[in-house]
Amino acid sequence: MAPYLLSLLMLIAIAGIAALGLNVQWGLTGLVNFGLFGFYMLAAYVCAQLTKHGFDPWLAMVLAVAFTALASAGVSLISIRLSDDYLAIVTLGAAECFKLVVIHEEWLTRGSLGIPDIARPVAGDVPFLLLTLALLAGVFILFELVARAPLGRAARAVRDDPLVAATLGKNVLALRLRLFALGGGAIGLAGCLHAFYYQYIDPTQFGPILTAYAFMNVIIGGRGSNRGMLLSTFTVVLLLEGTRFLNDYVAWLSSSQLAALRLMLVGLGLILALIFKPEGFVREYRFRIGRGSTTS
Amino acid sequence: MLQILFNGLVSGLLVALPALALALSFSILRFANFAIGAMLTLGAYVIYFFNVALGWPLQFAALAGIVLGGLIAVAVDWLVYRPLRGRSGVTLLVASMGVALVMENAVRFVAGGTPLGYDVEPARPTRFPSLDALGGLRVNHEQWLIAAVSLGSLAVVWVLFGHSRLGRAMRAVADNAALAAVRGVSRDRTVAAMWFVSGALASAGGLLVGLDATLDPQMGWNYLLPVFAAAILGGVDKPMAAVFGALVMGVASELSTLVIPSHYRTVVAFVVLGALLLVRPWGVFGQARVTR
Repeated sequence: MAPYLLSLLMLIAIAGIAALGLNVQWGLTGLVNFGLFGFYMLAAYVCAQLTKHGFDPWLAMVLAVAFTALASAGVSLISIRLSDDYLAIVTLGAAECFKLVVIHEEWLTRGSLGIPDIARPVAGDVPFLLLTLALLAGVFILFELVARAPLGRAARAVRDDPLVAATLGKNVLALRLRLFALGGGAIGLAGCLHAFYYQYIDPTQFGPILTAYAFMNVIIGGRGSNRGMLLSTFTVVLLLEGTRFLNDYVAWLSSSQLAALRLMLVGLGLILALIFKPEGFVREYRFRIGRGSTTS
Repeated sequence: MLQILFNGLVSGLLVALPALALALSFSILRFANFAIGAMLTLGAYVIYFFNVALGWPLQFAALAGIVLGGLIAVAVDWLVYRPLRGRSGVTLLVASMGVALVMENAVRFVAGGTPLGYDVEPARPTRFPSLDALGGLRVNHEQWLIAAVSLGSLAVVWVLFGHSRLGRAMRAVADNAALAAVRGVSRDRTVAAMWFVSGALASAGGLLVGLDATLDPQMGWNYLLPVFAAAILGGVDKPMAAVFGALVMGVASELSTLVIPSHYRTVVAFVVLGALLLVRPWGVFGQARVTR
């Protein structure tokens, strides 16, 4: 039971970091990143290959995170001045292209063979879990600070009405770019931890479903609320993991059918959450004057 | 060379139907429907069900599947998009991703992940000896079918959109929904009709993709990027221009195989899309009002 609990906590921590990243991009700033899985994969591969080529795992992680943040900013530059639909398709397209490169450029990524034996920054499962939880806490604190800082307020203004923000003298393009890169960095960190945790990566581990999970976490947790992200990741991972036990009870369904059913539930959950609970379970942080004295 | 151009035009016609479907829903509802790929997949499998499981001839199966695909799209609008109308376009965007997940995995749940094919007679390709001087041209049976179905559907939509009361209502709602409502055009009915046409077109696209290659649950997803690129290239608020965009995309991706391996077609679509968004995001025929 203990190893299972350990792996569950790992999954929650990694998904939580990715959700926090998406929350900065989409929840706080309103930038739709459908290519989340591509940036996650990019970071995992950069980190793994750097580690394999003799870099210290710590250094490899830092470099991969920085690279992913830069790549996010670069991709978003194509359409960040346009409306949201365009950013969605551009990020998705970039992610699909990354995946094609990973599959076909075997000299660079070993293609479908995958990269085995990736060294971790700390040895042992428990210390690594502690490191991951520490990183989750670090990202959480950082993003809480951002949400309360002038940068976070400006980001919410850009999300709610870019025209008003621009009229008030905010540089909308620069703000969007910075926050998209910041969120991309967190998504990259999640990717690195994925590579370290499994110690083996191949292209089949990364697909659009990662994007769907992250979006589900952000919607359920409440757009803009970092605390909501932790709560929703915990719930969603437990629920999804719980459905795995269905295997024992419904023997008449094949495992691939169960997998399809699980993904249908994710899609359905997304739609239902959007229709019935669009504000999520935790409200985002709002600056208030005279806190405690008002009843609202 | 002639062969490459021809193949490009045919694969462009293939993309044209879903691209038109996408542009229709964008021009009227102002949201990018990411479920278009899954609608294509679902339509293809519905046609497969009628064709192979029930043993109907392909033309009847296709007709039934196209109508059913349209009805499914109307039902999805009722269940998902209508309750969300009035929210931001981004909400609809994410909802359509959820719809795509449900549809694609419903197909996977019922039909499994193995590639399938329609029940069609294999036939000899047609050759044109008179064109040998230009490098020769051979046309598969499937290519004839694709061209015929695609051009036929496009003609129907063109007549419907440009020369009927319904088409006029659609254009009116696309232009200014409130004003159209004042003049007695029912928004709900027009949107439902649009979804029917959109779903039918996507299903027809699914039929063509299935004829061109095989059916698998990923088939629509793989076409998502070329379809978006085609719709944006034409000018996303001008539905018929998407056809032009699709033909350009088809020829471009076919020509690109001369230079880079064919599995990088998606990359070509992405590069075209990226360049376009940087230079002329409103497309070739659109108006410069998409930017915020």
